[in-house]
Amino acid sequence: MEEIEMEGTNYLTVAYLGMITAIALWTWTVVVRSRSIEARLEAVELSIGINASLADEIAVQSNVNSQDDATV
Amino acid sequence: MRRRVPELCLGIGFVGIMSTLFLGLNWAPSVSINAFESPAAQRIFYWHVPSAWAAFIAFGVLFTGSALWFFKRSPLGWRLHVAGAEAGLACGLMTVWSGCVWGAAEWGTPWDWTDVRLNTFGLLTLLALFLVLGRQSQPDGVETRDTFSTFGLYGFVLVPLTYVATRIWQIRHPGPVIAAGDDGGSLQSSMTLVLLIGALSFTIFIIGHMMISMRITHLEQRLEQAQKSLDGGN
Repeated sequence: MEEIEMEGTNYLTVAYLGMITAIALWTWTVVVRSRSIEARLEAVELSIGINASLADEIAVQSNVNSQDDATV
Repeated sequence: MRRRVPELCLGIGFVGIMSTLFLGLNWAPSVSINAFESPAAQRIFYWHVPSAWAAFIAFGVLFTGSALWFFKRSPLGWRLHVAGAEAGLACGLMTVWSGCVWGAAEWGTPWDWTDVRLNTFGLLTLLALFLVLGRQSQPDGVETRDTFSTFGLYGFVLVPLTYVATRIWQIRHPGPVIAAGDDGGSLQSSMTLVLLIGALSFTIFIIGHMMISMRITHLEQRLEQAQKSLDGGN
């Protein structure tokens, strides 16, 4: 029977527990954040009737400014 | 169905990651007790290497997104930048954590400030931390995005440097064990198989995460736009 090396096994446990916790927390946070913001947005957009294609206003504005600069 | 692809990737990736853990602990052979100070701790490798691999994918996405935003002003580029930074941070932290625990078991110290690979990878993770925290603390705007994209572009130089570090300066971190050259590496085939399952699983998992992260960034932008419209209407 293989001899159990306790110290190494402890390190192994600590490493994997840390990583499992990280994966679980990261995934949970991201999924919950996504669902919550989706629900909030749907409610707000429905109430004011906004167009979703104009979402990234900074990129849209930045592109407009670049085109203006090019034509000057 | 298309909306559920990221969640599906997360699920498949998670099952694969857990299978890797099971196989790594129960099926993969033990290493020689003469070659390692702590042979049991060597099994950390089955998540450490795939999470480092996933971190490199994330940093590649961060670089691509930064370049797309900086040179093309692409909204998709900015979303890729955000997703790459978040995924790079999560995978980078997992890699650093598992590496430190293994280092403590094997070398007797969790970190070696003279080892190039440890320090360049640590810097990459710190860069991702800076980008994630910086984006959360700064108001969104062209200048902010340009600044963070510049860091994303220049920071990428650490990726090839980290990759070649153990080939050029092998100080403490072990050298390459797969794709190591003509001899085909030093791993047994069953170990390689578990490692490949791990790499594939982490890749699918991180793709799912980055897709969700991109969706969240898009939703945040829409919410901000909606709130501006709401404020303007009042």
